[in-house]
Amino acid sequence: MEYFIQQFVNGLTLGGMYALIALGYTMVYGVIQLINFAHGEFFAAGGYVGAITLGYLSGLGYMQTHPVLCLSAAFVFAMAYCAYLAVGVEKIAYKPLRKESRLAALLSALGMSIFLSNGMMLTQGVYDKIYPGEMFQGRFDFGTVAISYLQIMIIVLTALLLVGLNLLVFRTKIGMAMRATAQDKTMSALVAIGSNKIISLTFAIGAGLAAAAGIMYGLYYGSVRYDMGFIPGIKAFAAAVLGGIGNITGAMLGGLIIGMVEVFGAGYFSSEYKDVFAFIILIGVLYFKPTGIMGENIDDTRV
Amino acid sequence: MRKRIVSILAMGLILVPFLLVGAVSAKTLKIGSLSPLTGPYASDGTDIKNGVLTAISVFEEQGGMPGYDKIELYAQDTACDPRQAVAAANKLVNLEVAGAIGAYCSSSTIPASNVLDEEEVIMITPASTHQDVTERGLPYMFRMCGRDDAQAPAAAKFIKEALGAKTIFIVDDKTTYSQGLADGVKKAAEELGIKVLGHEHVNQGDKDFSAVITRAKQADPDVFYMSLQGFSPAAMMTLQAKRLGMDSQIVTQDAVFQPRFMEVAKEASQGVFQTYGYTDPTTPEYKAFEERYVPKYGKIAAYATYAYDAATTLLKAIKAAGSTDPAKVKAEMMKMDYQGVAKRIKFEENGDTGSNYIAFKVVDDKFVPYWDPEKGLLK
Repeated sequence: MEYFIQQFVNGLTLGGMYALIALGYTMVYGVIQLINFAHGEFFAAGGYVGAITLGYLSGLGYMQTHPVLCLSAAFVFAMAYCAYLAVGVEKIAYKPLRKESRLAALLSALGMSIFLSNGMMLTQGVYDKIYPGEMFQGRFDFGTVAISYLQIMIIVLTALLLVGLNLLVFRTKIGMAMRATAQDKTMSALVAIGSNKIISLTFAIGAGLAAAAGIMYGLYYGSVRYDMGFIPGIKAFAAAVLGGIGNITGAMLGGLIIGMVEVFGAGYFSSEYKDVFAFIILIGVLYFKPTGIMGENIDDTRV
Repeated sequence: MRKRIVSILAMGLILVPFLLVGAVSAKTLKIGSLSPLTGPYASDGTDIKNGVLTAISVFEEQGGMPGYDKIELYAQDTACDPRQAVAAANKLVNLEVAGAIGAYCSSSTIPASNVLDEEEVIMITPASTHQDVTERGLPYMFRMCGRDDAQAPAAAKFIKEALGAKTIFIVDDKTTYSQGLADGVKKAAEELGIKVLGHEHVNQGDKDFSAVITRAKQADPDVFYMSLQGFSPAAMMTLQAKRLGMDSQIVTQDAVFQPRFMEVAKEASQGVFQTYGYTDPTTPEYKAFEERYVPKYGKIAAYATYAYDAATTLLKAIKAAGSTDPAKVKAEMMKMDYQGVAKRIKFEENGDTGSNYIAFKVVDDKFVPYWDPEKGLLK
């Protein structure tokens, strides 16, 4: 039982990070029907901005005296930076292709992903960048169950961000505009919703969430590297598809399921095949429900 | 559009004579290197490239190569991918290099060596420890580092004698090198009467090891043995193991012998053991290398010293042979017996230079020699 609880917490931590990244895929898809393959790179960029900010503050000595404040600053910087980055990427790489075939935008996204990843390699180097954050070490021990402070922090922060996003999308005017744009761009334009603005906003929010996941990732695994966006990006994309691409609740659910399946697959069967288990679930669900768990044929719930 | 293409082509043609002049005016000795410069092992591969570059600059300062104006390194990226390694080896063949240093991953070195050997290009690997590298009867394949069929028994002996372990849990990441070594350790440990509680495999590029660590923790072994392709996954696994409260002693292998291991794993790295070839840091050769390498590239990493020795050996042999003819260069290499930076260099018949694995322990962010198979505990 203790073993199960431990693996459950491990899965929740991993799944939470996947969910945060998956949201960006799903929101962008909801609005412009594009799989933004550069999204994993926003996650990596967020990790880097966090590392640089925390490293700088740690050098000044603030990290030791005001750790929570420094961490908040890192989150704000990284999320803001990645939001701007994503808006820029959209303007440069996707907007000019919006009227072209979808394949053109998809290839542009792949190119952008390679460009950003190599850009990070050239500017930040090939070596792992270390995350300062010793002050967040430590854990609670319940028998043999060990839950680190970081795991708790990640789970709580993820939950807060997910709730916040839900409120934004379903309870505010901006959210309503986003949902309207997702349903019908022409119609929403007729009622004075600027679709360009909404698309930029969607990219910004998705990238901001990915950046938050990037910092959590850096803190949890102790370092970041230029190529770190690739594999979590693929997993999160799978999570978005599993949940029903275009559906926000689906992406959250999909992320958690992929994280859990991976950890339990590795914990009870073999860590060699953990990715296989995750994709078996994906194939299984898509076989019976091709639109994903929460996906619907009517487009009124997606953003 | 067509006009533009024509004008671009015209500009290209204007540049051609410059390229030709550049190629003719200076006589350049071409040396190749193969190592992962991108991907998860980019840092280890860059260390190898830096080691070779240091060797070239030292060699040129000491008079250079008679008959050549300069020595140029063509550093190829293998990305630790067998297919890319073969492509890179073919490129070196086309460039007509006088010899190649590399590769890093055994799984790249073996296919690349088939290409190079067929074209009679000398290849010296600074880092690939899998026994098959030099066991295939290739005449132009050499190795600077030790072998895993020496490392695995040394590790098992260390775990049994120095740590007094009765149980072990093994994890590898399924490369030719890491899985080969893990299998070797498992076999050697069983022969010594150590109980193997589990042997798990993780995937290359994984970052989250919480599930496999929880599993190992449940098994509660005396020693947790990690055989991973690079220092980076090993550092992450160590960090996560300590954070999840694993108290088994951690033993790992040569690819982890990298100062950045301590930077990434931080306090979790303290007390971790690893097997690595013994290098005497007090020799004048090592000190001279340290003075050159550290200011330019930072801390000396796992295979930079071996890469330096490999490149120096190749250049010395070409100089002694007075030609780049591979048979003559090989004859000179086989005659060599000198103190390099990492070890004493004297080739055996199959191209090996011998293994000298000892165990190191991380103390105060440094790798400290801890145990020697012959002498037992050191200091």
